[in-house]
Amino acid sequence: MSTRAISTLRIPHRRLLMAGALAAGLLGGPALAADTVTIGIPVGLSGANSVVAPSVVQSAELAVEEINAKGGILGKKVVLEVADDASGAAGAQKAFDSLIFQKKVDVLISMETSAARNAGLPIVNRGKVPYIYTSFYEGRSCSPFMYVNAWVPDQQVAPIVDFFKKEGAKTYFLIGSDYAFGRGMLAFTKDYIEKTGGKIVGDEYAPMDATDWTAILSKVKAANPDAIITSTAGGAPNVTLTKQLRAAGIKALYGNLAVDEGTAKSMGSDAEGIYIAGSYFTNIDTPANKAFLAAMETKFGKDLKTPNDLSVPEYEAIYAYKAAVEKAGTTDAAKVIPALAEVAVEGPRGTIVMNKQRHAPLTMYLGQVKADGSVAIMSSFKDVDPGEQCPKLK
Amino acid sequence: MTESRRLSLILAAAVLALAAIFAGPYVLDTYSVNVLTRSLLYAAVALTVDLLWGYLGILTFGQSVFFACGAYAAGLVFTHMDFTPGNAALALALGIGAAVFTAAIVGWLAFWHGASALYASVITLVLPIVATQLLYSGGTFTGSSSGLSGFTSFDLSTEAWFWLAGSFLVAMTTLAYIFVQSDAGRLLVAVRENEQRCKYLGLNTSRLKIRVYLACAVIGAVAGYIYAAYAMVVAPELAGFVFGTELVIWTALGGRGTLLGPVFGALIVDYESAQLSGNFPFIWQLIIGTVFVLVIVAFPRGLLPMVFDLPRRLLGLVRPRGDVARPARVALATLATLDAAQTQGAEVGNGPALAVTGVAKRFGSLTVLDGIDFKARAGELVSLVGPNGAGKTTLMRCIADGAERSAGTIIVNGHDIGSRPPEACVAFGVGRKFQMANVFETLTVAECLQIARARHARPSLWRRANILPLPEAAMHVIATTGLDRQLSTPAHLLSHGLKQALELSMVLALEPRVLLLDEPTAGLTKTERMQIGAILIDLTKKQGLCVLLVEHDLDFVREISSRVIVLHQGRIVLDGSVEEVVASELVKQVYAGSGHAGIAHETAPKTGGQEVPA
Amino acid sequence: MIAQTLDIVTTAAILYAVATGLLLVFGVMKIINFAHGGLMTLGGYAALVTTQAGWNPWLAIPVAALFGGVAGMAIERFVVRPLYARPLDAILATWGLSIIIGQVITIAFGRGVQFTQAPLSGTLDLFGESYSAYRLALVGIAAALGLALTALLQGTRLGLETRAVIMNEDLARGLGINSALVRFLTFTLGAALAGVAGALITPLSSVDPNMGVPWLVNAFMLVLVSGASLLSLLVACLVLGGAQVLVATHFSPVLGGLTIAVLAAVILRIRPKGFARD
Repeated sequence: MSTRAISTLRIPHRRLLMAGALAAGLLGGPALAADTVTIGIPVGLSGANSVVAPSVVQSAELAVEEINAKGGILGKKVVLEVADDASGAAGAQKAFDSLIFQKKVDVLISMETSAARNAGLPIVNRGKVPYIYTSFYEGRSCSPFMYVNAWVPDQQVAPIVDFFKKEGAKTYFLIGSDYAFGRGMLAFTKDYIEKTGGKIVGDEYAPMDATDWTAILSKVKAANPDAIITSTAGGAPNVTLTKQLRAAGIKALYGNLAVDEGTAKSMGSDAEGIYIAGSYFTNIDTPANKAFLAAMETKFGKDLKTPNDLSVPEYEAIYAYKAAVEKAGTTDAAKVIPALAEVAVEGPRGTIVMNKQRHAPLTMYLGQVKADGSVAIMSSFKDVDPGEQCPKLK
Repeated sequence: MTESRRLSLILAAAVLALAAIFAGPYVLDTYSVNVLTRSLLYAAVALTVDLLWGYLGILTFGQSVFFACGAYAAGLVFTHMDFTPGNAALALALGIGAAVFTAAIVGWLAFWHGASALYASVITLVLPIVATQLLYSGGTFTGSSSGLSGFTSFDLSTEAWFWLAGSFLVAMTTLAYIFVQSDAGRLLVAVRENEQRCKYLGLNTSRLKIRVYLACAVIGAVAGYIYAAYAMVVAPELAGFVFGTELVIWTALGGRGTLLGPVFGALIVDYESAQLSGNFPFIWQLIIGTVFVLVIVAFPRGLLPMVFDLPRRLLGLVRPRGDVARPARVALATLATLDAAQTQGAEVGNGPALAVTGVAKRFGSLTVLDGIDFKARAGELVSLVGPNGAGKTTLMRCIADGAERSAGTIIVNGHDIGSRPPEACVAFGVGRKFQMANVFETLTVAECLQIARARHARPSLWRRANILPLPEAAMHVIATTGLDRQLSTPAHLLSHGLKQALELSMVLALEPRVLLLDEPTAGLTKTERMQIGAILIDLTKKQGLCVLLVEHDLDFVREISSRVIVLHQGRIVLDGSVEEVVASELVKQVYAGSGHAGIAHETAPKTGGQEVPA
Repeated sequence: MIAQTLDIVTTAAILYAVATGLLLVFGVMKIINFAHGGLMTLGGYAALVTTQAGWNPWLAIPVAALFGGVAGMAIERFVVRPLYARPLDAILATWGLSIIIGQVITIAFGRGVQFTQAPLSGTLDLFGESYSAYRLALVGIAAALGLALTALLQGTRLGLETRAVIMNEDLARGLGINSALVRFLTFTLGAALAGVAGALITPLSSVDPNMGVPWLVNAFMLVLVSGASLLSLLVACLVLGGAQVLVATHFSPVLGGLTIAVLAAVILRIRPKGFARD
């Protein structure tokens, strides 16, 4: 491996040999053996996703530990390879190249930003490995190698809007960050509200990294809507919008399509009362979820990152891959890929099958943030269909 | 080393580099080939950062935008139209067109006459922020934050892409290398070193900057186009500020102003970060940041020159220390005297060589010059005298730069200078020598002279001339002062007197009709002053120049002037022959009142290059 | 109308608070301090530490000033001073420093968004409009900052020396002013003000390792169009901040976000002095 690394850098100039030697010292590929199954996880350890990434890695580690304790996959030990995609396109290209061509993984399973996913897909096509995408996203990303086991707007919006309608809301103000997820979510929301008889009184987007919402909030106050639905970029824009919205004294119903339990906690008292929808909350009252939480608690103790709607699908996807390999009887991508559509996984979010145009019907929950930052589940909606996502794929 | 031998060596190195690129995919694993294909394209953009920052002195944070122009042109065309050879060509043309258009806007904003380096830098900082925002706002057209993916592109193998990216980088690096070593390329360094002097040598530095900037934009766009066609994805971060600053960091670490340094800086740092950032994402950033600050503060030349210098330094310990201030360059071999018939300079207009009418200069409520009227003919040597603060240097500045004065007209050789910049005034025949010797400190004597001739002899983009023809007047100064024996000496090593002589010969190389000299003898020895005096008399009598001289040494003035103008508090108090002025009571009062013991003995140089009004 | 006027005034106040530290450094040292965003982040985390310790949230302001000031002293001494003769390099080095500050904070506090206690919450009724109390308070704070700095510059010997260095450093040195000391103190004060700005925006902003970044470019542009005068900075904040609010309200917030930068660039192209007087 080390001589290989030196030759790696024998490009135009001999001076690079020094760097080559440096590379040789620092690198060291994994021992690739036929008796392991390697799962690659490209994830945003740095950049925008770095807040949630550790929880994703933790749930993957738990899944792998459980599977190996029970004899692995087809009798082979499961190995994890984590790579940082820096939450963006350039980083994702490096991470996917490294996992597919250097670490020679059998499958990629990960939550990522849409930009990172898109940047990785051409490399997946070149390397021809199965890829399970485990992050909720704006929908309609399709590749013959990819499956998605998290929600899309078609599944998430209805619970909140239906609830607000029941609460008597007639006028809505939509606020988003100007990026693919924000636009995608709110475009769907707008259609859905108008279809169900509500009225949109405002529809505003701020730049993706904006932290100043002054002008938009003044418009909200002027429009005085019954309900506000927001879909901002995660982290700072979401937090600043909530803080400034509360400070402005806006009292309308507030549905946030981009907040998770962890972020809600970091907003303290400002988050109280926000309505959120998702396919996973820690408070889901099922034996599978309780067992999962207990196992996470045992494995990670005080280092545990709260499981969430982005980390739990990762856990379930690893089990889905296991089931598909066992069904196909091989890790051969050509056989595993069709099998992924057929296997059902019983996990913390319920039973999940990725059989709807590479996406999965999901049980969705409506929750409200309490004063202590926890989320109380108000109602659930069983097996919400993802709708038309990839009509060209089975 | 002959010129053709030098060029063949460069080409031989390029061929070797191409061979290494060709061998790459056979010795590298697929992973490294993939990662390096992108790094090679990034390195081509880092090359443009070096051309702009390392050579031309424009610190730019926005080169990422041109990369994105090319990349998005490919992404948009291939996504929204079919992939056909025709559309591929269209995309390339659109990408280059968008880059050139953007660069032209930035150039207009940032490189106008008088824009500061800081302002230009900040404009290049705003550029990626605006560009990224536009891409985000593009909705499904640009793919917003997700970018565009899944489009069809050229069906080439991984190896072929590596070869294409590598060959592109080698070709661009070679061209850039030949260019910066050429006579035209030296102008870049001259602008970085001393833009003001360049302008007063008649060079349109704004145009030069914009041209280089446009060329760099094209290189970036082509690199971006290849990137998108290879990676089959484009994302807003390609246009972003983070990528833009990464390019600057690679350039700084590799060694600005070396071309190869930034190329290797980009390749090594980008490749290593693929390896290391996965394991230590935050520590890696911290290390890069720390090394970057360290390099900027302690090793501004970057790491590559240090590596190159190492053997030299080790040798230096055993060998007697020689002059290691700069790597030895091929010295410009010979000077030649231009045929007098070819050195007419600017066309001689009708009437006086210089006509100044009603000129005034105000700083806010402070009036420094007021109602200045005089004419000077060809062959006249007019001395401007007056105490400090009388407005002498300000008057010089007003004649040499149309934007300086607040009121009045100035006609040089029959041309009204209007509010034209210094380089246009030079074209009308003005030559200005500054008070403090104003030359290109890091360039050699020969190089300084060559830049002074650039206005007349368009420098080659790829060759170095080995004969430098100069007008007789300049040659005369050079020969008299012995500068011709120091042609390969860097200007900063010259004595004070020789620096003054160098600047004078540079100005004379412009073939001026009106020569403005601001205390050319300040700080010179008696002999040197005699030499300069003889030269000035020669210039006016034989060559028919009109010379305007600011001088404190009245003995000197008396010996050489044909006429003297006395300035006091921004006004002309006397305009007459040497005898009239020497006999004038008024002049004595003026000088006594300003605290000068007597103009005849005042020869000490003043501090500061610019005269402070008041 | 009233709401919009309040938006403009409070936005200008926030921008003013954010940009003053940068302005001082620019005036005296003729460099743009790219670490300003990093120092603001430091101030934000100082506020975090303060409220986590259970202290009064208003105490965050002096604590942040202390954090920023101490960091500023170190930066001036070890990074900026050696680069006195290379202003563009000084800019780059301070940019490198902001990377370092961001990563150190990330390693110490994690990448996530942190919660800080706001010193004021709720709304106030003003001219029949209920408006965020904290934003209104910021107008007062920014005014106090501006007045205090003006008093410092106009009323003290140090201020006199500082103004002399701003006008003509060579001349000031010739008159026996220790310009190195003036530079050191100015940078320290500028850094302390950056820290204060960071603490001041925490109730509006998210506290995370990149919190200073979105403010940076707007602050740069405001300072460039203001020259070295606190008064023209005030004008610039009102005019450009006002333009931002108007564009964001009547056209689109996306364009609003670019208004200050683009407008300032064009103003400087047409009138290089910007809002500064002759």
